[in-house]
Amino acid sequence: MILDLHTHSEASEDSRATVEAYLKWLARKREAVPIDGFVLTEHRQWDPARDYRALEDRYGMLILRGAEVETDYGHVLVFGVTDEMTRHFNFGDIRLPARELIPAVTRLGGIALPCHPGRPTIGLCEHYEHKPPIEGVVAVEALNGGSRRGEDERVRELIEGHGYRAVGGSDSHLVSFIGVCATEFDRDIRDIDDLVQTLHAGGYRPVDFRARLQASA
Amino acid sequence: MVEQLDFDHVDVGHELCPLRLTLTGEQVARYAHAARLQAGRFMSDDGARREGLPGQIAPGNMSLALFSRLIGQSFPGMRLRHLSATFRVPLQPRQRITVRGVVTEKHVSDQGSFLDCDLVLESEEGERWVTGTARVALPPPCTAASRG
Amino acid sequence: MSLQIDRALLGQEFERVVIGPVTAEEILEYIAATAEIAAPAAGADLVAPPTFVVRARGNLFKPPRLGEIQLGFDAGKDIEFGVPIRPGDVLTSLATVHDIYEKTGRSGSMSFIVLRTVVTNQREELVAVVDQRMMYR
Repeated sequence: MILDLHTHSEASEDSRATVEAYLKWLARKREAVPIDGFVLTEHRQWDPARDYRALEDRYGMLILRGAEVETDYGHVLVFGVTDEMTRHFNFGDIRLPARELIPAVTRLGGIALPCHPGRPTIGLCEHYEHKPPIEGVVAVEALNGGSRRGEDERVRELIEGHGYRAVGGSDSHLVSFIGVCATEFDRDIRDIDDLVQTLHAGGYRPVDFRARLQASA
Repeated sequence: MVEQLDFDHVDVGHELCPLRLTLTGEQVARYAHAARLQAGRFMSDDGARREGLPGQIAPGNMSLALFSRLIGQSFPGMRLRHLSATFRVPLQPRQRITVRGVVTEKHVSDQGSFLDCDLVLESEEGERWVTGTARVALPPPCTAASRG
Repeated sequence: MSLQIDRALLGQEFERVVIGPVTAEEILEYIAATAEIAAPAAGADLVAPPTFVVRARGNLFKPPRLGEIQLGFDAGKDIEFGVPIRPGDVLTSLATVHDIYEKTGRSGSMSFIVLRTVVTNQREELVAVVDQRMMYR
């Protein structure tokens, strides 16, 4: 099963993509972008009321929700968000303490993965140059569809040095960028609890569809 | 030569014929003047340096105009209803750029038909400097009532 | 450290200006500078290209109460277009502070103000709604 773990809809201030537009695009581009679903990871927010089950049913895609938050070690994807997490941590704060956040998210039943770790300022690699590593990091986003040349390449050393697993995500803010990078799982993922458990346990890897998409154009 | 597209024969996934160009410093300054944006950073390298920048940059609005140009040339006769852009990296003159678009949505109804496009302005190395979207609408149908 | 912007600015009128009458020369110069649309043949109606509306603004680039800033950059725009602009139009542009937020990016912490400008013409027709994201640090 293949999921894009990092996407933004119009709920994020810098995205213009509606969820339904993503679904229509994926229906058209199935051969080039063969993902089975995606996770909406909106910037600095969590709205428990948002519900995409009707769209899931209509388009036959899995739509899960998480968040992309900003910390003192860079940006982090949070999956399995709960009310208790949002009581403890203000997702709108751009200076969340990563060394508290990441273990706390795990303790509260979720998982937090540093995203685009190779990116200057907001990626883990740069922070690890002069700060201690974060306890409890299980995996990082090794492949990010919005990365510039060289940014993803920095991540290999981070992964090998710390034994982190690797995931992929498009970081899409436009419809046509969804699924360009994703994560392939060995097992089926049915819901957010499955995703959290599997990310902790292993059996996944990043996948890159950019060449396929370009060839299909 | 930009391909002109017919609404009926375009669908989701259709890539617009890209614009490839290199802006000169003079073109950037001319645009800044025409857009009433005569800050030093847009007029010359010296002007930009006086503002603490390494060299002349184009106004973000100029990339909006390039997006609009691509849409206008691809869909003649259609009306631009919405245009958005995120300026990720300042657009610099004397660098080869490509403006691309792809149709992401097509909506047909009696009340009005439109196309949505994703737009990207990228550097020669493929780095995305500006990203955006556009919605173009077909003119409303000419009815007996409107003909009077 | 990003600039701390006073959220009391939200909803406040930023600037109100009247621009025009728009001249044919201004429109033709804009067309020549952008090639956004083809200039009409002689005798045909001249209509401004869509993005000509970005001229319909005043000279302020930050709210007066913002205080000391080092740099301000245009981070992006969303424009909803209404009726086209023609020579002779007198445009009224009213800008308010629509949103304020912070985020971090490759270049560090940034503060954003979204200015919403509603542009109307002398017939009080809606010409455009322009949301401009200004980044300050």
